[in-house]
Amino acid sequence: MFGLDYSWLADPAYQQWLLTGVVNTLKLAALSSSAAILIGMLGALGLTLRIFWIDALIELFVEVFRNTPPLLQMLFAYFTLSSLGLRVTDPSTGLSVPLLSAFACAAISLSLFGGALAIEAFRSGIETMPRAIVDAARSLGYGRWARFWRIEAPIAARICLPGLTNILTNLFKTTSQASVITVPELMYYAGQIYNDTFRTLEVMILVLLIYVVLVSILTFAMARLEALMAFPGYGRGH
Amino acid sequence: MIAGSMLSYEGKKRAVLLLIALGVAVWIAVDAAAGGSAHWSRVLARLPLLLTGSASGWPINGGFVLNIMLSLASMALATALGTIMGLATLARFGPIRVPAFLLMNFLRNSPWLVLLFATLYFLPFEMHVFGTVIPFPPFVKAVIGLALPTAANFSEVIRGAVQSIHSGQWEAARSLGYGTGQIYRHVIMPQALRRMIPGWMNLYALLMIATALATVTGIQDVLTILNTLLAMENERVIVYFYLTILFLFIAYCYPIAAIARRWERAVKGESL
Repeated sequence: MFGLDYSWLADPAYQQWLLTGVVNTLKLAALSSSAAILIGMLGALGLTLRIFWIDALIELFVEVFRNTPPLLQMLFAYFTLSSLGLRVTDPSTGLSVPLLSAFACAAISLSLFGGALAIEAFRSGIETMPRAIVDAARSLGYGRWARFWRIEAPIAARICLPGLTNILTNLFKTTSQASVITVPELMYYAGQIYNDTFRTLEVMILVLLIYVVLVSILTFAMARLEALMAFPGYGRGH
Repeated sequence: MIAGSMLSYEGKKRAVLLLIALGVAVWIAVDAAAGGSAHWSRVLARLPLLLTGSASGWPINGGFVLNIMLSLASMALATALGTIMGLATLARFGPIRVPAFLLMNFLRNSPWLVLLFATLYFLPFEMHVFGTVIPFPPFVKAVIGLALPTAANFSEVIRGAVQSIHSGQWEAARSLGYGTGQIYRHVIMPQALRRMIPGWMNLYALLMIATALATVTGIQDVLTILNTLLAMENERVIVYFYLTILFLFIAYCYPIAAIARRWERAVKGESL
């Protein structure tokens, strides 16, 4: 069809590569997304403390990671962490090898990048918290913790969900850049396959479709979650 | 403590950030005294090359300036495409709206890097249209490859801005006898435009950051030049080069993002 040649797809070796690539992409995305959400929560909680120096540190972190290319962050982590002395001597070969693998470097830098985005999203979510409801809870005699767990957290979670969807899809898409530092994920294997078969366009179209399907599943799942969690007046509830 | 009580919360925060900047400056000075100055002088010697792609700083062959030019060209194209796509997704006529919506979601859900690669291989070396030859050098391919996802995101910004205009405006305009095109032109767009600008600027900052990906097309952007340079440098100097490039991006993108945020806050108050 359209002069595209997909006969290479019948080769089990290439199928295996694609599968391994997808699995590694999913692993990288899952790992860095969870870490990013954790960083985002800690950061947003840190901001609610209203302690000026914590505030300043978090702002610095967010701005640095938001305003530099994730690709550059990954390259920086990959090439400099090893040269800064983070090396171990492999006992079996006696060679000095970098302590962090390419996968670990990608996971760390993606977590920090996603974490910076998540802090920003959670912060703006908390800012739009309807104060009247919190005040109402206080006047009903809710204590600090009960207010947080029963009133503020449930509302904040629903307000932040659309922003979180954006960050998770963004992070998932950004994992493709880890191929540049030789993390064996989908995009990396795509390169391997077209180096083998010279079917560059065919491989790229297929990989693009795989990514779009995976990201669409993610956005669909998040939309379902939003719909399930919705309560009247907030998020999609109205 | 006395100085602390005189400062506002924001003032104290700014003081801490200033202190951190000072600390970084001191660290650089100490490091320079301890032998880092040799590394910095290597970076300084290469700075014209990193910025403009030529060792003397002129003419412009690439470097960070090429990244900026790439982002500007891409943004112009993305704004045009995104406006068409955004208005198409708002159309009431199904055969226009549905394909536009599908295309927008497809582009929004695909990774920038993969889209750039696909564009790179999809576009021919040159195209013949009615006897004239339109060449597609890597730069043009990079412009198109980066403009596609940006356009999709911009069309979402347009959609959001238009839909945020209160429905009362539509009803009022319609009751005054305005047609749909007139309502868009005279009532909705002037208001929506104001709300679009922060999103548009944020998108530009995002696009500028994404121009780092253009290194895969082989153009002489800042990352390509960096990689060529690093092949000739020793391991210790690499850190200094990376810090310089990271700083370049922050220095360019942060002010844009900061202005966008300020504007966003100003627009937020308008409810009707």
